[in-house]
Amino acid sequence: MTATINDRLLGQPFDRLDGVLKATGAAPYPSDVSIPGQAHAVLLQSPIGAGRIRAIDSTAAEAAPGVVAVITHLNSPALGEAPMTGLGGPPRNPFTDDRVLHYGQNVAVVVAERREQAMAAALLVDVDYEVSAPILDMDDPRAAVENNAWGLETHDGDVEAALAGAQVTYDGTFRIAPETNNPIGLFTTVAEWDGDRLTIHDSTQWPMMVRASLAAVFGVPEAGVRVLVPYLGGGFGNGLRTWPHTILTALAARMLGRPVKLTLTRPQMFTSLGHRAQSRQRLRLGVGGDGRMLAMDHDATASLAAEETNFSAIVIGSPEAYATPNVATHDRQVRLNIPNPSFMRAPGHAEANFAIESALDELSYQLGIDPVELRLINHADVHPRSGLPWSSNALRECLTVGAEQFGWNDRNPEPQSMRDGNKLIGYGMAGVTFGWYAAPCTATITMDSAGSVIVRAAATDIGTGTYTVAAQLTADLLGLSMDDVTVKIGDSDLPPAPQSGGSGLAVALAAAVQSGAAKLIEALIDAVGDSSPLRGKTVDEVVAENGGLRLRDDADAGETFREILGRHGLDHLTAEGTSDLAAAAKNAKMATAPAFAARFVEITIDEDLGLLRVKRLLSVVDGGRLLNAKTARSQIIGGAVMGIGMAMFEDTIYDQDTGRIANATFGDYLVPVNADVPDLDVVFVGEPDRFSPTGVKGLGEVGVVGVAAAIANAVYHATGRRMRSLPITIDQLM
Amino acid sequence: MAEFEYLRPDDVSGAVATVTADPDAAFLAGGTTQLDLMLKDRIIAPTTLVDITRLPLHGITGGSDRIRVGALTTMEELAADERVVLHAPFIREALLLGASTQLRNMATIGGNILQRTRCRYFRDPMVAACNKREPGSGCAAVTGAARMHAILGAGPNCIALHASDVCVPLMALDTVVQIQGADGERSVPLAEFYTLPGDRPDIENVLRHGEIVTAIDIPLLPAGMNSGYLKVRDRVSYEFALTSAAAAVWVVDGRIADVRIALGGVGTIPWRAPEAEQSLRGQRAGTRAFRAAAEAAIHDTFTVPGTQFKVELVKRTLVRILQTVSGVTS
Repeated sequence: MTATINDRLLGQPFDRLDGVLKATGAAPYPSDVSIPGQAHAVLLQSPIGAGRIRAIDSTAAEAAPGVVAVITHLNSPALGEAPMTGLGGPPRNPFTDDRVLHYGQNVAVVVAERREQAMAAALLVDVDYEVSAPILDMDDPRAAVENNAWGLETHDGDVEAALAGAQVTYDGTFRIAPETNNPIGLFTTVAEWDGDRLTIHDSTQWPMMVRASLAAVFGVPEAGVRVLVPYLGGGFGNGLRTWPHTILTALAARMLGRPVKLTLTRPQMFTSLGHRAQSRQRLRLGVGGDGRMLAMDHDATASLAAEETNFSAIVIGSPEAYATPNVATHDRQVRLNIPNPSFMRAPGHAEANFAIESALDELSYQLGIDPVELRLINHADVHPRSGLPWSSNALRECLTVGAEQFGWNDRNPEPQSMRDGNKLIGYGMAGVTFGWYAAPCTATITMDSAGSVIVRAAATDIGTGTYTVAAQLTADLLGLSMDDVTVKIGDSDLPPAPQSGGSGLAVALAAAVQSGAAKLIEALIDAVGDSSPLRGKTVDEVVAENGGLRLRDDADAGETFREILGRHGLDHLTAEGTSDLAAAAKNAKMATAPAFAARFVEITIDEDLGLLRVKRLLSVVDGGRLLNAKTARSQIIGGAVMGIGMAMFEDTIYDQDTGRIANATFGDYLVPVNADVPDLDVVFVGEPDRFSPTGVKGLGEVGVVGVAAAIANAVYHATGRRMRSLPITIDQLM
Repeated sequence: MAEFEYLRPDDVSGAVATVTADPDAAFLAGGTTQLDLMLKDRIIAPTTLVDITRLPLHGITGGSDRIRVGALTTMEELAADERVVLHAPFIREALLLGASTQLRNMATIGGNILQRTRCRYFRDPMVAACNKREPGSGCAAVTGAARMHAILGAGPNCIALHASDVCVPLMALDTVVQIQGADGERSVPLAEFYTLPGDRPDIENVLRHGEIVTAIDIPLLPAGMNSGYLKVRDRVSYEFALTSAAAAVWVVDGRIADVRIALGGVGTIPWRAPEAEQSLRGQRAGTRAFRAAAEAAIHDTFTVPGTQFKVELVKRTLVRILQTVSGVTS
């Protein structure tokens, strides 16, 4: 029994409900929060990459104007261990001991009446280090290696035999620089204790996880910890862990008995949060003369911090990208003295796609098969591993519609064949498969006597449109207008909801809202009088519209919500909806479909000066049913901009002696600016997904995947030079 | 941020006297460099900040052959000046490519000339080895991630780049700096204003503590002389130059009658290229002569692995701007 999606409001390109608030500065981000009596904390971080702290002299800092305390591992209590989550283990606790494992590790927290005072005092803390040589190179023989740490490798068929028998083989190695998420909102924590109760404003994509972590770390009841994040200035995966600075802020507030606020500086955003691991991939493919892939061996190595875990495998999506009978994947992580790599938009998949889609492009030239055609030849009509039918799949349409709209066939396919003055012109494309993961979700819908509703869930809106799409879906299902719906999220006291991450929140929350709407309609039917035409009807027999319910087959037989609630003198009526799509997928008898996409790009390269510029970029995407055509498009173009960064700019550089991040500012760490971003076109294709209850597939990350390969392939088309290392920069191209 | 005293005098001699008398005092104009160094990078901590924005050093005077630009004139005002647009358009180009509108409205010309290097090793107090900050402490950039660094005028003691765009055409134009100190006024050609790092990278120019730049005098280009500024960088906007070139060329009957060339993104100071100018005078305008001039311009380079590519890139940058300005591409 489900509430009916009417497509009356759902899918419409409504402006974001939080848009005006954000544009006018009225949306309170964590960094806007101030609590009366709060002190300000500043982190002092290690200037060495490995070693020990011999001694800390904080006398001068403590004597500095306004300083309240200098907290270090020497004067702070032991902390408990945060639990594992669905996304792996917690980061190593701060202040565990005297060892320094990476540049920028937290060494002290300086707390003062004013932030400026704390910053000045932090320079006065005298730390005596015993310096060791940090391990910073993935090829360093001293580096510890984790093989298949998460059991995510695949070994299907006989890859070596198939490679040996293939008519054409491919063997290429790809390198991608470490990238740093860099949301514009500086991560902030404001913590306030009341006995064992903690209220914490925190930059996070997952309030429930922060709640559980902090309760365990401080040994207090989970129910007494409240995490608030009504608005977040971006995350891109950085908000999926409880980071040391959050724990330290709560620790300082607990030790000092007063509220404490901490905002990371931009350089500290590089050392205190996660980033996309540096990676190296070797990809071997065996292909028949007809272009069919017979074998894939995908071997990936990623950087990992010295004593951290990162539940991520670059090769995890490789086996389902194309119909390949023999697949082997190898997942390796190398421990370095670097800040903790973690999740960055489409972790693993964005990297793997660069290798696979670059390799297919190379093969297309070797085989003399058009790159689009080669992908169609290898299209997985059913799930390549299970053989089950897809719950939806419009990848063919993505490829063909994209080729048509882009004018793919108008190009001269010969490398170095197209130019405009001293600029070489290149066309490139890539196919994209990107899965989503929806964790269990709860949402309540409360209707008041006027027929307005409030939707509640401990979800977050990280700038993606959660407020807006939740309101649209609720209004659509209940026959209300957008003005009748209020969405309350960003608070761990609300009904449990999963992270904004894994491209799963919109899917999970939409299913929970749909379930809640059905239960609310059921409760409303139960509440009607004996004479009501709705009496005894099921949810499927009624339609919600115009602020009430009516019989599906009789437009005049119905009652308004106001009448139903008023008859019983009910102030309000609440229903709770739930979803657990990961559990449901196990019995679905179909393969839960990922989002699919194709990217087409045109670039120019100034032959003499090596200047690479993107002229246009088309994304054709199968995201199932769209909740909101505008926010869906924004997700894709935002991802595409990030993809341009991955292809051309982003590179977190470590100084080889200290592990210091050499470019930890927005002046030095390059991301695309407006002038680097051309006209980005987005076309959606496909049908509502058959497995996802609302037909929705996750769109949060797929936008970044495939852009780097499409650009690198276009560079090959323009220059005849194959780029297997990201970012692609002037010095490589000139 | 350490606490400091803030003063805002309204006469030049008072401002100069205050800073001259106090070794820990510093001037503040538009703030686009000074406040970064104090508040974000935390590598300087003057105990007294003397705000000079109310001093009468603002505005542009002169005619079509020469202008005097007050030190407090903003980048935006200079870019919009009709004489600059008509008689030295490459100044305007460099200004527009040098900063966003917001910055151009705050940043002053005096401040631009005196801007500090963007070297991240200089601007990070976590880095111990920086001869520019702490003479004798070494140079972390030489073995570090050097890409936005100098190859000309550089050496093992310092490879910090002078990142100004507008100083490149100003150098090509023989600009003169007007200075006022406690002992009176003096004029110094821009070409002699900056000092090479040598073994004292902490000394960057001939200004003595307490002296103030009051104006710059810019000789404009004669009629018939075309000028242009080319800036090469990874992204289209919001980045300092990897390489840049300012050129003004007067072509008569296919031959180069006069030429001015300066280079950016490559020097520890804005880099005039007299050998390139010399090699071009009297030559037939064309790519062969331009390339020969580029080869003549770049010598005695000091490179590290990250900056090696600039040796060739700056030559190509110069060839391209000479082609553009002369209208000769073959």
